[in-house]
Amino acid sequence: MDEFLLLTVSVITSGLLVGTIFSVVAAGLSLIHGTILLPQAANGQVFLGAGLLFWLFGTTFEWPLWVAVPLTFLAVAAFAFATERLVLRHFYPLKDRNISYLIITLGLAQILSGVYTGTFGKMTDTFQIVPPVTGFLVLEPFPISNARAIAFALAALVLVGLIVFLRMHRIGRALRAVFQNRDVARLRGINTPRIYRFAFLLGTMVTTAGGILYALAYALDLSVGWTMSLITFAIMIVGGPGSIVGALCVGLVFGFTQAIVSVIADPTIATFAYLLAMLAMLFVRPSGLFAR
Amino acid sequence: MNRALAIAFVILAPLVVLFTAGDNQFLVFIVGITLIHMLLASGLNLLYGYTGLIPLTYAGIAGISAYATANLSMFGGLSFWLALPLGSLLAAAVGVLLSLPAIRLRGFYFALSGLVIQSAMSIAFVYFPRYTNGDTGIASIPRPTLFGAALPSPWIECLLGVFVIAVVGVVWLIMRSRFGASLIAIREDEDLARALGVSVTLNRTVSFAIASFIAGIGGGLYAYYVGFVSPRAFDVLVSLNIWLMAAMGGRATLVGPLLGALILAPLPFFLQQYTWLKDVIYGLAIILVTMYLPSGIYGYLLKRRARS
Amino acid sequence: MSGDILLDAKGVSKRFGGLKALSDVSVTQRRGELIGMIGPNGSGKSTFVNVVTGALRRDTGEIRLDGLDLGALPQHKMARAGIARTFQAVRIFETLTVRDNVLNGLLGHAVSTTEGEERMAAALARVGLKVDPDASASGLGLYDRRRLEFATRLVARPKLIMLDEPVGGLNPEEIRAMIALIQSLRQEFGIFIIEHTMKVITSLADRVVVLVNGNKLMDDTPQAVLKDKAVIETYLGTGHA
Repeated sequence: MDEFLLLTVSVITSGLLVGTIFSVVAAGLSLIHGTILLPQAANGQVFLGAGLLFWLFGTTFEWPLWVAVPLTFLAVAAFAFATERLVLRHFYPLKDRNISYLIITLGLAQILSGVYTGTFGKMTDTFQIVPPVTGFLVLEPFPISNARAIAFALAALVLVGLIVFLRMHRIGRALRAVFQNRDVARLRGINTPRIYRFAFLLGTMVTTAGGILYALAYALDLSVGWTMSLITFAIMIVGGPGSIVGALCVGLVFGFTQAIVSVIADPTIATFAYLLAMLAMLFVRPSGLFAR
Repeated sequence: MNRALAIAFVILAPLVVLFTAGDNQFLVFIVGITLIHMLLASGLNLLYGYTGLIPLTYAGIAGISAYATANLSMFGGLSFWLALPLGSLLAAAVGVLLSLPAIRLRGFYFALSGLVIQSAMSIAFVYFPRYTNGDTGIASIPRPTLFGAALPSPWIECLLGVFVIAVVGVVWLIMRSRFGASLIAIREDEDLARALGVSVTLNRTVSFAIASFIAGIGGGLYAYYVGFVSPRAFDVLVSLNIWLMAAMGGRATLVGPLLGALILAPLPFFLQQYTWLKDVIYGLAIILVTMYLPSGIYGYLLKRRARS
Repeated sequence: MSGDILLDAKGVSKRFGGLKALSDVSVTQRRGELIGMIGPNGSGKSTFVNVVTGALRRDTGEIRLDGLDLGALPQHKMARAGIARTFQAVRIFETLTVRDNVLNGLLGHAVSTTEGEERMAAALARVGLKVDPDASASGLGLYDRRRLEFATRLVARPKLIMLDEPVGGLNPEEIRAMIALIQSLRQEFGIFIIEHTMKVITSLADRVVVLVNGNKLMDDTPQAVLKDKAVIETYLGTGHA
């Protein structure tokens, strides 16, 4: 078979899958930052935590999918709820809270990464789930693993669902109103602290979905958390905080970059490229490409 | 005078441990590491406390000097006394370069740009193995020599103490100068400072150069003292934790960073096989300090005394 | 005679995107003369001060201070050249002491420590601020803040001080005192005031510049300006008397 064609297809499929998962995690981050002005530096650790819990419940404890998945969401939601209640809400009244939040969430990231090292790190190095579905989907003549195809479909579904929710639903519109203009939103009687709490929970749940889907498609290791934080920060800054469409577009571009670079060189070079793109965007237009 | 006493006490505390530790190599090493962190935190305080910027690139800048001094002495054949200032100068130059974002970016965006640059530096440390030996790092860097002989403990720790005192002295002199007053004015209200005739860019760049030079000394001393440098020693968490030392001790005070380093730097050594707990404790401290103790322990004590 | 002219701003324009904030405004201030600039909100008064002090870069125009072309100097150099300004909302260093606030006025100027201390005490006396110099500035009331802000500018002995609404938020008694203070300083410093309280302008200014929509509408004595129909209309139209 034509080797070049095979390579091209593999780049396209892995670019799509990695890109959509990047987009999902970045959408969670962007939703939180766009609404609350909370640059969640621990978002990558939350992503990793969700993947690890899913692995623990589903693969180590061998609980069925319908227990493992909701339990993962529940555990992360409890964590997000506690974080909001104990820490984050104290800063809502501050105007320049984003700098405090950056430092605090970096601290949170350090805590989580310590906890993972002390718990999961003692069990094994890589965390590979036993896929709930096996076999391959064959797009003649290319085989694609069913687990990955499902991960891609679900990730796309999460993104579409999020976009529809933000445009159609009452609460979704209130969220959009807050990240378009928080002062006007307050004047229009939108209860901002409640919206903030909701945004943090929703964003964290979206990130959790990203973590579970990533674990479905790829093996995890403990360094993925930091890498994902960096990549999704870059996507958010380039795409524009609060813009889900921005996260989707830039996430796909980054996903393809990753897939292409992985073929010809070390994937770390791709990370380098994201960081440069983000730095350039910070200088040129901190509000991002897709900002209004 | 009280302040001088506090500084003397905080610097002398590890040195007292040093001379009572006797043959306990472990304790002596903790003293050395604590002194290096005192120096690093004091330098960072110049930027965070007095200039009002959170330099998340700080560890990376120290790392550049650490790698440079290690290379210069092991492969360039230079002595410690030549390699250290050269490495620190390189760090200062890089620091000035990395201060460029501060011309355009403020507050959160500046901190974020630092996070990005620091991450890029960490990657670079791994992926330019010619000078860094990649993930493995550079090992068996020889200890500094004095009069032709390698400096033994506890004299090398005393040398570190001298460096700490020198850095604190430099920061003290800066704070008494017009330059220091300009930095504080810029930190408090940049536009007003400018309207009063203060060149914001120049002052800020100079403060970056000095703080980066100090970071460079810290990085170089670390390389010689520990004898081993690797990318891990200079990643973003290290920047964050040196920031924590300055913030927890008390920003914009001379004692604060010393106190913060004295409390935090020895901690990991006492956790033995539970080193991962260090990350949990440091992380919690970051959150608690930001929430409840923004002026740090020493700053809090000063305020309480002022009130009574 | 150019030696007679303190500030000479010629053809100053400034655009913000599509909005013309200042179009071709020229103002000449003689030595010893006190100029008042009035105009409704958004007429470009603050923009004019921002441009003359270098806080904003002008698009066109020339600014000379004491015969010296200031070219396109950055703000801090403008300040060193002798143009000082106050802000509409008082700007002082809240966390610093009264003493350090005033001394910060000298940061851009080569003055020795002892002379600085003398000048600081003199400036505080000059504005009549009798508070403990070691007290924090954050504890001061509005009138004291305004006077402290004033002192931080006087201490550097500028050639020209531009005051942006110096009586904003003050009560009638404080306004009278502030007017007297400005009156007492006019011999020594060039003073340029922007205000929309007519009373301040009429009791202080030798000449009044009226700015409307970024254009200079009039430039005359207070009496002449007060009689002018267009000015009255502008003011009544926006609800300021």
